[in-house]
Amino acid sequence: MSLRGRQNSTNLLVETASFLIVRLGASYFALPAAGVRGVLTQEEAGHEEAVTAAETVYQQVDLAQRLSVVADLSGLEMRTVLYSIGYSQGAIRVEQVVGLTDVEQKDWFPLPPHFQCDERNWFGGMMLYQDQLVLILNSFWVLGESSGVVSVPIGQAKPLIAVTPTAVGESC
Amino acid sequence: MFSVGGIKLAARTEDVGGVSPWTGTIPVPSRTPFVQAMLKRDNHVMPVYDLAARLNLTVQGDPLLCLVAHHLDGPMAICIDADVPSLETVDAAAIRPNGRGDIESLGSFTIGENDVAIVALQRLGRSTRGTVTS
Repeated sequence: MSLRGRQNSTNLLVETASFLIVRLGASYFALPAAGVRGVLTQEEAGHEEAVTAAETVYQQVDLAQRLSVVADLSGLEMRTVLYSIGYSQGAIRVEQVVGLTDVEQKDWFPLPPHFQCDERNWFGGMMLYQDQLVLILNSFWVLGESSGVVSVPIGQAKPLIAVTPTAVGESC
Repeated sequence: MFSVGGIKLAARTEDVGGVSPWTGTIPVPSRTPFVQAMLKRDNHVMPVYDLAARLNLTVQGDPLLCLVAHHLDGPMAICIDADVPSLETVDAAAIRPNGRGDIESLGSFTIGENDVAIVALQRLGRSTRGTVTS
């Protein structure tokens, strides 16, 4: 793995979650780190549709296409993140792996209720990392599982903006 | 009163949280019509509503301004023309109930020769869920 550094929380009494921060185009995303099985360079990942590592086959997940994000995946900093949760695995190509960080629960917040559509299933929330807005990916959605459970590994994030009942579930 | 794409619009003062210079936005992958970015100021972020795109207009002038709307779902940033908004007092009797049909409106009034819609900032975007008006 070639990460740009890890930021650790030293207070063990505070609930934290670890995230791998990646970039696609102009957007930054956080993958819950518990599912990360490896980070490969283009050379290590090869050019096949699937990546095999430690006897596990990781099918390619075109995250940029699924998010409708324009990303340049031909650069030197492109990496393939091997990701696994439950019985699902995926090889996620990203433009850049930015870092790995532990985040306290108080430091992330839900997607504002103004966002009404599919993105509510894509993202479990948001946080700031090195002054960048980072969207926390729902790893179940990333790997194409039907579960609506957002995979942020600790309790409900403190809402900065109250979610109104009308804000969720309307057609888009 | 403020303008978007050279079109004069109005909003109730209590629906406006402030006006400041427009700064760069952060794109957010989204399928919600006209809500596809966030604005970050210090450690606070708020969604951006693309009112100009909703009205099929392009904001004008430099520097552009940011109008913060007191939306029912929380504060929301709207990019408006560089023309500094002005305060106008309008007699309630002068407000006609039928505003523009292409936007959430509290009615409209006439000022000079212009028909000015009062944008219902609190409800902005709520009628486009399911259909996109352009």
